[in-house]
Amino acid sequence: MMKNIWIVTLVALTGMLISCNGVRREPGRAYMPDMSYSRAYETYASTQNLKDEGINYTALPVNGTFAKNDLLFHYPYKNDSAGYANSATVKDPLPAMDAVQYLEAARLYLVNCGICHGTKLDGNGPLWNGGSGPFPSAPRNLMDPLMVKLADGTMFHSITYGKNAMGSYASQLNVSQRWMVIQYIRDKQANSGAATDTTAKGKMPMADTTKKK
Amino acid sequence: MFNASAQDAANGKTLFMGKCASCHNVTKKGTGPALGGLEERHKWADHNEILKWAHNPTGYMATDPYTQGLKAEYGSLMQAFPDLTLKEVDDIVAYINVTWNEFKNPKPDAGAGAGAPAATGNSALIFGLISIVLGVVALILMQVNSNLKKMSDDAEGILRPEPVPFYRNKVYIAMIALVFFVIGGYYVSKGAIGLGRQKDYQPVQPIYYSHKVHAGINQINCLYCHGSAWDSKHAAIPSVNICMNCHKAINAYEKGPKLYDEDGKEINGTAEIEKLFAAAGFDPKNPAKWDPSMAKPIEWVKIHNLPDHVYFNHSQHIRAGKVQCQSCHGEITAMDEVKQVADLSMGWCINCHRQTKVDFNYSQGKGNQFYSIYEKFHNDIKSGKMDSVTVENIGGLECQKCHY
Repeated sequence: MMKNIWIVTLVALTGMLISCNGVRREPGRAYMPDMSYSRAYETYASTQNLKDEGINYTALPVNGTFAKNDLLFHYPYKNDSAGYANSATVKDPLPAMDAVQYLEAARLYLVNCGICHGTKLDGNGPLWNGGSGPFPSAPRNLMDPLMVKLADGTMFHSITYGKNAMGSYASQLNVSQRWMVIQYIRDKQANSGAATDTTAKGKMPMADTTKKK
Repeated sequence: MFNASAQDAANGKTLFMGKCASCHNVTKKGTGPALGGLEERHKWADHNEILKWAHNPTGYMATDPYTQGLKAEYGSLMQAFPDLTLKEVDDIVAYINVTWNEFKNPKPDAGAGAGAPAATGNSALIFGLISIVLGVVALILMQVNSNLKKMSDDAEGILRPEPVPFYRNKVYIAMIALVFFVIGGYYVSKGAIGLGRQKDYQPVQPIYYSHKVHAGINQINCLYCHGSAWDSKHAAIPSVNICMNCHKAINAYEKGPKLYDEDGKEINGTAEIEKLFAAAGFDPKNPAKWDPSMAKPIEWVKIHNLPDHVYFNHSQHIRAGKVQCQSCHGEITAMDEVKQVADLSMGWCINCHRQTKVDFNYSQGKGNQFYSIYEKFHNDIKSGKMDSVTVENIGGLECQKCHY
């Protein structure tokens, strides 16, 4: 009988040690599940039961409405060839950026555009990488004279709706952010020395880090 | 063009990358058709025809039903390349043919990648077993010792009371009880503390999305997909259209390392991308027809969960606090399947808040400048401009101070 107890204990201890070794696929238990997992509608919680009752909750915006920040500028053209042609007449509504806005524009460019168009705007970002990256189409070289000549409005149209292999960035950049990125690209084009462009703005002042409080 | 030299193909590569690659790929459809094997199609074996087409696509198409069909299929017309010469077309085609042949007759894979990662040995298990075995041996030896003593006592004729068997020996029982109490107490308190914590939680996601491939190898910025971490409380999960920004064009997993899940099973990356296409309602054979508004959300499993009574704001931490994503989420650029690295306990939060130095640094023009107003008050009081600071001065009349 004593022998049996020892064997049982040994097996139980070994089992306990083995079970500690593995991938945790389950979240485990919580003291108070009502508190740990919100009962209120949090971001990404399913709202299907509200939809079933016909309640409009975080649905798509009503047609014809636009976000408060986009009141500054309403882009009138649709995503078709006529819209693309007309886009050239649209002017940049933003005033020239100050140093802080310029840094923000640079950040937006590097996060959203640099991955394909490259940090140097040469169309050679990590996803293309001279043809050895995973992206099958070469991104546009934004320093190319063709891109320097491209109207601001057409650039805005392409960012908003996508162009060729590029997708729409309307969900990642709001209207003023799109114009900021365009101003940043213009500034880089004007200061590269590779192309001359009379429409681009002069060199932006960089952030004044010596500024006294 | 069977005598094309490597030099021609190298020239052709430069030209192809500069002029064609924005819309054409050799092996895949892009904005325009795949160019591999183009000499077998239409009249393209005659490079003068290609040249005529490239110089003036609109004019060429007017009398040519084949290219009209292409326009209808791809929805747009190629831009004109009026400066292209016949030699350049020859070179480009030479490059296309070389690449196409390599694609059709792939070289045998040199090293078919390292095998599945070997399971790491668990030294705790070995040490545990050794301890148990040694403990049993010690007990047996003690039993043998007492038996021998009894035998020698008998031989020498010393009378001793009948020895108590070890399982009724109070010293042994007390020792074992103590050991069980300590071990049990350790596991009970550890389990109680761990209840509700999800460190190492690594759920199976609906699509095998590798952060290592996206954020590590391809260097996509965290904020490209989780952009709202910059602006809001949540580091949002990207909607399907953001995935499709790139995957509209990248429809197969070809260039990255082999992928394995945590159980060592090999993952077919292309099949995982097809799961995304199914959610997006995207047909890779017919990309022009895709309607993003028909996409269905992918139900990713949330890993990091904070209870209702904790308010955590991403933008505050990464913008004012300048905390890197990896400080809390671990080395995400090396994780195929994401797991929770921190235990997200209150002690863990507090520990960081105790140690992190606030970057006021307003004299340098950078830093978060949150408390520069206090320095202004300090100077104004010193110079006599103010005599005291009221609650209103430090935001006491903000509605949310009381009504939140």
